[in-house]
Amino acid sequence: MMLSAFCNAVFAQENTVIKLVHKVGNQPLQLFTEVYTNQWNEPFTVNRFRYYIADLTIEYANGKKSYTYQKPYHLVMEDDTTTKALLLNKSLYKITSIRFLLGIDSVKNTSGVQTDDLDPMKGMFWTWNTGYIYAKLEGQSDSSKAPAHYFSYHVGGYKHVENAAREIILPVTINTSSAIKEIVIEADILKWFYGENDIKIQQEPICHQPGKLALKLADNYKNMFLITEVK
Amino acid sequence: MKVYKIIFSLVCIVCVGVGFISIKKHKPTPLKFIVPKGWQKPLYDFKKNPLTVEGFELGKKLFYDERLSKDNTISCASCHQQFSAFANYDHNFSHGFNNSFTTRNAPALQNLAWQKEFMWDGGINHLDVQPISPITAENEMAETLENVIDKLKQDTAYQRMFKAAFGNDVINTQRMGKALSQFMLMLVSSNSKYDRVMRGKDSFILPEKLGYEIFQQKCVSCHKEPFFTDFSYRNIGMPLDATLNDIGRMKITGQSTDSLKFKIPSLRNVNITSPYGHDGRFFALSNVFEHYRKNMQPIATTDRLLKNKMPLSNFQIGQLTAFLYTLTDSSFINNPMFAPPANTKSTILHQH
Repeated sequence: MMLSAFCNAVFAQENTVIKLVHKVGNQPLQLFTEVYTNQWNEPFTVNRFRYYIADLTIEYANGKKSYTYQKPYHLVMEDDTTTKALLLNKSLYKITSIRFLLGIDSVKNTSGVQTDDLDPMKGMFWTWNTGYIYAKLEGQSDSSKAPAHYFSYHVGGYKHVENAAREIILPVTINTSSAIKEIVIEADILKWFYGENDIKIQQEPICHQPGKLALKLADNYKNMFLITEVK
Repeated sequence: MKVYKIIFSLVCIVCVGVGFISIKKHKPTPLKFIVPKGWQKPLYDFKKNPLTVEGFELGKKLFYDERLSKDNTISCASCHQQFSAFANYDHNFSHGFNNSFTTRNAPALQNLAWQKEFMWDGGINHLDVQPISPITAENEMAETLENVIDKLKQDTAYQRMFKAAFGNDVINTQRMGKALSQFMLMLVSSNSKYDRVMRGKDSFILPEKLGYEIFQQKCVSCHKEPFFTDFSYRNIGMPLDATLNDIGRMKITGQSTDSLKFKIPSLRNVNITSPYGHDGRFFALSNVFEHYRKNMQPIATTDRLLKNKMPLSNFQIGQLTAFLYTLTDSSFINNPMFAPPANTKSTILHQH
């Protein structure tokens, strides 16, 4: 027991950790209290921010077989710190890119009730039109005409024309000579509102189903990630 | 002394070994799913959820358990009653939590193993996830999955039954869904007079025979045998109810061509599953016939087979009705296997 605890203390911390840091532009994300402004000058708060990371793999520089994160489906929740650190089961060296699916594959969307992070209990599941919600951004904005000025973006959809899952590939440009202790990936919420499509809270405060608006949002937020630190 | 010790040790080892093997051997008893003669292979993937006696019994207990609702008053069986082929008899809408109404008519639950999609609009793609919708809907059972699973975990009977069905005492949403499916999959209705006639074990009386012939001409292209539905979505010219604003299939596909299309309901047990239509607006079969021959309002998305409505004489309606009565399966609605488990409050006398 003592020995294994000792081993863990010495070796486990060597394993690489991926940290997810959520921001709004340059500001750190603070749920409920902080008022931010999007590109369209619309003030907003964020009450909830969640998304799925699936099949995370990391490519090595030397062309070795890529590393696959041991947990195939991971739900990131702003209000749960433990979900924002991915503890890999290995210490990584010299990597060139990190890739993952922002969403859930169609098989898991169509084969009944799943467990763990995919348990419908997690609230990332549409019960009336079966399928996972891949990403969720909820808050309030004076620009919203919805009840109580809420805005609520639930993005999902697995069917061919509505597929909102997005493949994310993040190149690693920061070189390290020794084992990597930590990789920081930042996600910028402002990216939800612009990029490929203009999303104005005033015009579109609610997305609660697969379809056009969900696809527009997905095509925007697929660009929200950036690797800022590798150390 | 030494010999005794050795013998004693050996006996102990053997006992523990036997005990271990017998624990390992304690597997749930397989339950056979019988495909009625001449029916196609079921669509449900039984390999991912093998039917067992223990799983079925657990599913039945869950189906009849009112604790699946927020105030512990509504079970699945409250709105899916065996005497009505698991439809909600005499209710156009069912009564949900806190004096609420559903917005659609509860369908009969039968032959679900052959269904690809569920609900009137086909929005649900797997039988295992179907119950999550009524359990969590505000105007149905209005409960959260967390609370349901908590209630089950606290009940020693459930602890025992989940273990018996699935091998260990994990209680989660997936297992609840699988157990409920096991009960619902067994709800096969294939022993009506019609079925016996088709098997050569019975014969139609004259009005039934004439009705069957009319059925072949006018109804069968949508209400296809042996399920009496082709599982497609069609607009049969029911005008939109402005208070419900239910656009049907279009809600799921987003396609305007699917406006006001609803799933073709099975006609099995039709006589005991009134009212009819996705919103239960037809209280009797006679209302349905009047709709088809007179009241329907065809629009762009109305099925092409009904563009000119459906001419039906009073005589034909009489014969058709006689035939439709032969689709009642009394062995199904009286099967004690599907009745509430012992020590469950009677849901038939339920006040909803």
